Amino acid sequence: MAANQPQPLRPAPFSAPAWQLAPGLIIALALIGLVLLGLGALLHTAGTLEFEELWQSRYLRGVVWFTVWQAVLSVFLSLLIALPVAMTLARLSHFPGRSLLLRLMELSLVLPTIVAVSGIIGVYGRQGWLTSLLNGWLPDHGWSLYGLNGILLAHVFFNAPLAARILLQALESVPAPRLRVASQLGLSGWWLWRTVRWPALRPVLPGVSALVFTLCFTSFAIIMTLGGGPRATTLEVAIYQALRFEFDFGQAAILATIQLVICGSLWWLVFRKRLESSLLPDRRFAEPVSLKDSPGQGLGRVLLLGIFSAFLTLPLLAIALRGLPALWPASPMPSIYGQLLPATGRSLLIAVPAGLGAVVASLFTLAAANKSGNRILAAIPVTTGYLPLIVPPLVLGTGLFLLLRPQLGNGAQGWVLVSLINGLMAIPFVLQVLRGPLNAIDKNTLNQADQLGILGWYRWRWLYWPRLRRPIALGLAYGIALSLGDFGVIALFGSPGQPTLPVLLYQQLGSYRISEAAGTGLWLLVLLVTLFALLSRVARPAPGTNTEPAPAAAPEPRHA
Amino acid sequence: MLELRNLCFQYPDQSEEWRFHFSVAAGHCLAVRGASGTGKSTLLNLVAGFRAPKSGEILWNNQAIHNLPAWERPVTSVFQEHNLFEHLDVFTNIGLGLHPGMKLSPEQKSAIEQGLEQTGLGGFGARLPGELSGGQRQRAALLRAILRRKPVLLLDEPMTGLDPDARAIIRDLLVQEKASGITLILASHDEEDRKILADSNWNL
Repeated sequence: MAANQPQPLRPAPFSAPAWQLAPGLIIALALIGLVLLGLGALLHTAGTLEFEELWQSRYLRGVVWFTVWQAVLSVFLSLLIALPVAMTLARLSHFPGRSLLLRLMELSLVLPTIVAVSGIIGVYGRQGWLTSLLNGWLPDHGWSLYGLNGILLAHVFFNAPLAARILLQALESVPAPRLRVASQLGLSGWWLWRTVRWPALRPVLPGVSALVFTLCFTSFAIIMTLGGGPRATTLEVAIYQALRFEFDFGQAAILATIQLVICGSLWWLVFRKRLESSLLPDRRFAEPVSLKDSPGQGLGRVLLLGIFSAFLTLPLLAIALRGLPALWPASPMPSIYGQLLPATGRSLLIAVPAGLGAVVASLFTLAAANKSGNRILAAIPVTTGYLPLIVPPLVLGTGLFLLLRPQLGNGAQGWVLVSLINGLMAIPFVLQVLRGPLNAIDKNTLNQADQLGILGWYRWRWLYWPRLRRPIALGLAYGIALSLGDFGVIALFGSPGQPTLPVLLYQQLGSYRISEAAGTGLWLLVLLVTLFALLSRVARPAPGTNTEPAPAAAPEPRHA
Repeated sequence: MLELRNLCFQYPDQSEEWRFHFSVAAGHCLAVRGASGTGKSTLLNLVAGFRAPKSGEILWNNQAIHNLPAWERPVTSVFQEHNLFEHLDVFTNIGLGLHPGMKLSPEQKSAIEQGLEQTGLGGFGARLPGELSGGQRQRAALLRAILRRKPVLLLDEPMTGLDPDARAIIRDLLVQEKASGITLILASHDEEDRKILADSNWNL
């Protein structure tokens, strides 16, 4: 065998443990500091007012009550749909269109609410497809999209697929041997649920419920567009109105504080039960195991998935079909682009830094969380991931708005803030994408890397980067997409004269320029699809590496 | 000489304690015997530095190594499986053993190519581990271990589950290594492996 002298050990670049710990901690502390600053300003403003007096106000109590009520209903309805869908998808691990459906379910995570709303209006609104059908059959059905109906419909449209996706991941993480045992014993129905499904779902359910509750509790664009009046106003919308129209900063501060208390206590409960890790399960590869079927279940499943797919697809179809004529009319250069293109530029200017920031912050945060042995130190980066859920973006925005109000002269400063808050907002989702693949590297592999001295930069380059490039691209796409679709924070800081795409869309919806709105919606949708397609192309694995574990590396060793 | 002096280990949630005390001369092979669950892998992981002992010492040529991190110890491990990084091709897997950042000299590159030829893996450099058979993967892992030129090889069931031909090839490689002065610690269930390779035995 050829002789090779052992090389003198030169430490790998950035291999000192501090490189894994310090940047994440610094970023996390800076973000926590920013949030505390915003909260401080909020409490300072709220503190000078009489809480009691404002609490007497019927309007305020009504707002709080309605906010909680619609969120609870939304959670209930979303889970009611998500559970059977997830179980059906877990059961049917191979059918044509399954991955397309999964993609569609993930799309709802990044689909800008305002775009979806315009699609939902196109299907269920006064002139919508389904409403027109219904008009034919039942002339006095009394259906109106605006109000609680529309809010719930839109919330379920967004959150049922999200919840189903997380539940499906939990179901797919059931170890194959357990499923095989269930299959061999011929378990089905109640016993299958008790032995296999429920143990897998139970740990994630509280987290999913809390997530959906928070998203619905803090939803803004949907209430703004579909709420249809003061009877259906939520805290977020009330804050916005207080800040931008009534200039009642005290009331905004109190509302934001109430919202903070409710969201904060909810997540505190979830944290206390140590459910943080189960909210975002790792993605594993499930081997198909055939289970016993009760008669008639097959048809029911097809029907369920068919209706669910239609529910998700119809609004998108409405956007596409109504938007196309606006973007592609007979005249060579339609006037719509005069507003559309500058808005696109502004949107990208905010969204791209937000996405990049979210990915970088998430990576360092995860590294620091994994590195620190100390419990308190480890808690700091983990907290960053949940900050945006505990402190909703609009609350944070309100605080910073109150703090910076005197100085906030021009739009540019506002945009920097919007970009920053959007980036922070994206961190939980980017973390969700990155955490699984990052932690999926097993102890054995890490041991070997240690023995070979693959540390620091080398570890990143050879161990993590090849496996993470796709999740990173996906996380970046999520981050950019979330910011592109942001309508809450920008409504607070932006100026109507210089709209981003979602603001433009809102303005068009508000002034009943429906075909232009559809055009803008479609444009934003195409922009997002392009973004995802582009980033997944960039992230295609380099030759000689493979990000998917090869068949032989499946969780169970196959003995020769 | 590799020496373990009163090396003590205990899993955090278990009362049972393991104690190891033996020495192996350079160029010798010590076979570790014992049923599964008696701590063969634990022993090898302690020497490699993947686990920390409760007390006791590990010495290589009279120098204490038990406080060194895994990458500074004079050892290379070969396990029953999962020795290779599944997402990297065979050449890169071996190259990372020579330089942890793949900064390889032309000599090192040709040494890898030559080694692949000699172990019957010529032309497999660009394959991913998942595309090889178990025996081929194990040869690649052993080639990496050998090219690292660390004086101690820790072998944890390296031939278990392989077909007779693959076993024979790997045994031959190990015999050569031993002859060139490498110290081996072999954990194996197989009587024949031990008969061919081992100079002494340690019973757990």
